[in-house]
Amino acid sequence: MSNCRYTAVATWRWVANDDNCGICRMPFDGCCPDCKVPGDDCPLVWGRCSHCFHIHCIVKWLNSQQVHQLCPMCRQEWKFKE
Amino acid sequence: MLVTYHKHWQHYSRGSGYLNQLYGYLNSQFIHKQQHSEADINYGGFGIELQEQLLEIGALALDIWKRVMVEPLKENLAQLLLEEMEKDRRDGNVRQSIIHSVINSLVHVDEYKKKSPLKLYEDVFEVKFLRETGEYYHREALQLLDDCTCSEYMDKVIQRLDDEDMRSRKFLHPSSYCKVTKECEQKMVADHLAFLHSECRNMVAKEKRHDMSNLYRLLCPISKGLDIFVQDVKEHIKQEGLTAVASLKGDSVPSQFVESLLEVHAKYSDLITEVFKGDQHFIGALDKAFAAVINHRSNFKSNCRSPELVAKYCDSLLKKTAKGMSETEIDDKLSQSITIFRYLDDKDIYQRFYARMLAKRLIYTQFHSMDAEESMINRLKQACGYEFTNKLHRMFTDMSISSDLNSKFSDFCKEDSTDLGINFSILVLQAGAWPIGQNNLPTFAIPQELEKSVRMFEVFYGRHFNGRKLTWMHSFCNAELKLTYLKRPYIVTLGTFHMALLLPFNSSHSVSFRDLVDISRLPEKELLKQVQVLLDAKIIVSNESTATMDGVFSLNLEYTNKRTKFKIITSVQRETPQEVEQTMSNVDEDRKMYVQAAIVRTMKARKVLKHNALIQEVISQSRARFAPSISMIKKCIETLIDKQYIERSSTSTDEYSYIA
Repeated sequence: MSNCRYTAVATWRWVANDDNCGICRMPFDGCCPDCKVPGDDCPLVWGRCSHCFHIHCIVKWLNSQQVHQLCPMCRQEWKFKE
Repeated sequence: MLVTYHKHWQHYSRGSGYLNQLYGYLNSQFIHKQQHSEADINYGGFGIELQEQLLEIGALALDIWKRVMVEPLKENLAQLLLEEMEKDRRDGNVRQSIIHSVINSLVHVDEYKKKSPLKLYEDVFEVKFLRETGEYYHREALQLLDDCTCSEYMDKVIQRLDDEDMRSRKFLHPSSYCKVTKECEQKMVADHLAFLHSECRNMVAKEKRHDMSNLYRLLCPISKGLDIFVQDVKEHIKQEGLTAVASLKGDSVPSQFVESLLEVHAKYSDLITEVFKGDQHFIGALDKAFAAVINHRSNFKSNCRSPELVAKYCDSLLKKTAKGMSETEIDDKLSQSITIFRYLDDKDIYQRFYARMLAKRLIYTQFHSMDAEESMINRLKQACGYEFTNKLHRMFTDMSISSDLNSKFSDFCKEDSTDLGINFSILVLQAGAWPIGQNNLPTFAIPQELEKSVRMFEVFYGRHFNGRKLTWMHSFCNAELKLTYLKRPYIVTLGTFHMALLLPFNSSHSVSFRDLVDISRLPEKELLKQVQVLLDAKIIVSNESTATMDGVFSLNLEYTNKRTKFKIITSVQRETPQEVEQTMSNVDEDRKMYVQAAIVRTMKARKVLKHNALIQEVISQSRARFAPSISMIKKCIETLIDKQYIERSSTSTDEYSYIA
């Protein structure tokens, strides 16, 4: 017998080094306070320093910083991880 | 005497009319100036007595007639008129024009007065007439009650009312029409309300349309007259509804349930529009009765099964297997099911069931058409709001994202020039949105034939998305195997586990249970179940008919099937009692969260609130989804006090305050 077709089903969830977003303190499985639904609409981003936030939260934070753009957790310069 | 009076009045009134015209100039030039304007009279500006005012010639004539003719004759006139009316009621043979004109004269003589021009008419005739009418119909009603049944009585009464209305139109001044009707209704209907009401139940139970519409007509104008009638109709509909769904059996319970309820609903809404002219009271009664029927639970502890049944009904319509029905038919039935859905108290249970069945339809591609699915969800959204269908929408989004991913993945494979060896497609679902249990997944080693594809996809997915972890839901995957070892080739659709159990037979003729454990890494208990399914399907055979821990299995080389393509149904695809239970307990959890959220929301806005007010508020907030029990709300309040969201107020015992 041979296999001719396979339909796989998988679910995904975020894997971050923390459970909550360091800015809004909401769980990563949920969404940032400005969003209604978690998932693709409210993604996470990682910085070079390996800290992770809701993208909406960190962008809001970076926009509020005038001089240097620092990671709110470790005070290193914030660079998006490629 | 009436005839003479009529004749003279005719002469006189015509004469005075002419006189009035003849002296028109005098009227307008002299008398008008003397007359005070209305404002003067009202404010009494000049202190001149009203009697001294000069009247127009016509009015003067009428006044003289009144003083000379009407005043001395009025008792006599009224008596005669009443006698004539009485005669008209009995045999209808009277001189209409004469009576009408005599009655009119009473109105006419006072016509010129600005204040209460009908006073004479009312005093001399109307009051007496009404009293007479009342007495007449009082007697009449008693007489009829003795002689007739209720339905005959109502027919007669309606006929009398119509007659009397005609009569007043024939003889009386327009101002009296409704007074007369009212008097008759009072005597014939309102005075005998108890009798009519006692007959209601009987009439409703037998659904005598004619009688009911008569009764409605009679009771409608009487205040509070309809209450008992409405109540009876409500009880009746409720009884009918309950009997309609009481004795459902067999496989098609959901569709029987919904369709018989719809039938009852259609019947009675039809009845209400036809018999009761769509009266709001009765529509309200229908709604209440239906809510009671649909949310009826046979005993207090058991849950109401209606949400589940309605959801299953929708599922059966939306599945591919719904045969022999056109698209529009299905659409109609779905939109009708919303009628029933609206009455459900436990809409959240419905949502759970619906979501689970929708998930299965989507994963196993059993849905009939995507359009039908979406229009159904839009209907639910209309009925219950965005929140309600939120997750359902996300399931659709995942489906379209997945088809996107699939094409990207096949491009990725081409670029990498890897051949997966099979036709591989995948659904990537967002963990929170799908009603798929992520807990206690059995351990499982994916067959080697698939390993490459799965690893490849994980690499691909990892490159596309940062920080996402995929969990393979093996029990939901399905595969197609081509069976080439039989007389003719078969294509069988089956679950991952079954596939993993069949593939080892490629390399060896017989495989023992231990081998299967080693290869698949499934827990023994789970494995036993899966093997049993294959045994039952006669794909594999063993020396015993049930799977055991030390059984040895081999392929059934004699296997035949009418179809060249068939399915082995996985246990997940079937509905199990545990699943229903699981759904119910999930719903319970959800409700607690919902109630807690409602409490916190309310308290945050109000800061301090009385116990009862808080409970009311919570109930009204959650009404759209379910009807929370008081004890559940109390428990949630306790929990929130423990969690220090709110506290009992220090000043009063039954008050809570919000802790910021």
